[in-house]
Amino acid sequence: MSPLETRQSLIVRLKSEQNELAWRDFVCAYEGFLNQLVRRQGVPERHVPDITQQILLTIARSIGGWKDDGNAASFRRWLSTVSRNVVIRFMSRERKQAGGIGGSDLVAQLQNVEDKPDEQHVRRYQHELIVWAAEQVRHEFLETSWRAFWATVIEERSVDDVALELDVSPGSIYMSRSRIMARIKKKVAEVENDQCPNPNDQ
Amino acid sequence: MTPISSPCNATLLQRSLNDQLSEQQEEQLAAHLSDCDACRQQLEALASDAASWNHVGKVLRDETSGEHAVAPHSGSTLIPQLPISGADADGEFNDGSRLKPSDFIVDFLQPSQNKESLGRLGNIEIRQFIGQGAHGIVLKGFQDELNRLVAVKVMAPHLASVVAARKRFAREARATAAIVHPNVMPILHVDSSGQLPYLVMPYVDCESLQDRLDREGSLPILDVLRISLQVARGLAAAHAQGLVHRDVKPANILLEPGVERVMLTDFGLARAVDDATLTRSGLIAGTPHYMSPEQARGDAVDTRSDMFSLGSVLYAMSTGRPPFRAESTYGILRRVTDDQPRPMRELNPEVPTWFDAVVMKLLTKSAADRFESVEQIAQILEECVAHVQQPDVFRLPQIVRELRPQKGVLRFRRAWLLRASVVIGVVAAVLIVIKWPEPPPNKSINSDSETTKITEPLNPENTIPWDDGTDQDLEQLGTEVESLFEETK
Repeated sequence: MSPLETRQSLIVRLKSEQNELAWRDFVCAYEGFLNQLVRRQGVPERHVPDITQQILLTIARSIGGWKDDGNAASFRRWLSTVSRNVVIRFMSRERKQAGGIGGSDLVAQLQNVEDKPDEQHVRRYQHELIVWAAEQVRHEFLETSWRAFWATVIEERSVDDVALELDVSPGSIYMSRSRIMARIKKKVAEVENDQCPNPNDQ
Repeated sequence: MTPISSPCNATLLQRSLNDQLSEQQEEQLAAHLSDCDACRQQLEALASDAASWNHVGKVLRDETSGEHAVAPHSGSTLIPQLPISGADADGEFNDGSRLKPSDFIVDFLQPSQNKESLGRLGNIEIRQFIGQGAHGIVLKGFQDELNRLVAVKVMAPHLASVVAARKRFAREARATAAIVHPNVMPILHVDSSGQLPYLVMPYVDCESLQDRLDREGSLPILDVLRISLQVARGLAAAHAQGLVHRDVKPANILLEPGVERVMLTDFGLARAVDDATLTRSGLIAGTPHYMSPEQARGDAVDTRSDMFSLGSVLYAMSTGRPPFRAESTYGILRRVTDDQPRPMRELNPEVPTWFDAVVMKLLTKSAADRFESVEQIAQILEECVAHVQQPDVFRLPQIVRELRPQKGVLRFRRAWLLRASVVIGVVAAVLIVIKWPEPPPNKSINSDSETTKITEPLNPENTIPWDDGTDQDLEQLGTEVESLFEETK
């Protein structure tokens, strides 16, 4: 059994099949983000898969605290919150003791997820999520489109100037950057399980 | 496609956001947005609420200005490479996994005693960094004990921890080892024990078809046919082993200079035809320009999916651009599943009509309507090469003669042909009556008719050049006239 299958099957004890599927989808969407986040915390490359697995394991174990109401959507929302808390805990822990990479220690430390994380940590988590989503989405677009998005939204330059520089029409810049923004939002929602997606999204 | 009735159209804006517009609608909308502030605001509101626009902008600004202290090696891939130069004409998707060769050498190679060597990987002295793709790095190396140059494909470090990627690598090795064919790049050795798995292949001084297309644009028809013939042969060999390549594209086709040998490579996505597992991997590796509609939809694929991709490669070779283009990967996928490609002759008038018809048959949305097999395509292409080289000696294969190019054109041509055949049939009948009231037995009409008969039914002087499709029309006309005679007998 591959590690991925192991992680996914951790949850087979869930009562509802719907929740089990929700967990599998969640792992698929979340693992990539976790890998990057762990890496960005300065964990050496060779430890990244282990740490990611530890975090997923912690999340999986926390599921014991879930009261099944048979509703996959509320399970998924709950899962996103637990994961966010576990990850925030991991991030603050890594800051305090850089270098100390634990196996079962880490699980024990991450286990207690009841506490409410503070404002600053939540912001940082969201930062990580948006950066990750933007990086994922970037490769779906032409380089020119990304440049247009970057120059006008991030660098806040005028659309007309950038259009001239990139030799495209201003209208196409409005189109490109809106598409990119919509994709970033959607990517974040896949992980956050945002329950209020844009009603116009199919 | 619905026409744009009013310039300000909310449905159209939403559809543009979902990448659902035709190329033409897109151009019209871009022109409209350049002038209409109300539509611009509406489009941006549809994409995201104002708070999110600001938030994402701020986060990415903070990220690149270093406001948030992240680990030093996070090396953001978000910032476009500067300086901003003119728009890249056909556009490229940045694959996001760029790695500095020097970093790789320091991090992953063993030091070597040899001065020519950058470092060692197993028993290979690495001499040169050749290139980098979406999945790995290609290095040129030398194996001392075997005294040979090799190409080493190393898995990209950011993928080495991804289970799916390791599996993909193992699959590539297993699949390729099963196919021994001159048009398939062989694998000499696999090592997946170390930190980074790698494959060893013979070192061949070659360039990819993608490189050649980037440099030269469209290729002459004879080159297109020769290259595709070899690709089809290599692909047929894989299919004979029960494997579907699933990633046939110009970057995976290698051209050896001079020798005119073409090799198909990168079986990393190859699957056994009957392998039901993991058919739907949502993973899009690199560009989806050459995917089949069934792949784009995430349906099960078989050898006919490779046929479609081969068709897209032929299209790209003939016109210099893939058949389906859009700004985003999603847009491309949608075009692959829904849109008809533009006839190749609109982009390159030099493309013979019959070849356009062959490629369009490969690009049929329904897998059942493509050719029987890639093996059959290889045979057809072989005959086409002969025809293009010596049009007065070799006819186009029958199956190609029977293909008609575009639907609109088809009806027109048929009608024209029928009318013409009736007229010509009558004229011919009259001529026969006048000229040969009593056909002289055992006597040639003219002295060189015997030699003409041996090689080709058509008189070489009357042969129309291969590239305007007229000879097909004439041949068909001939058949129709014949059948007209049959009926009137």
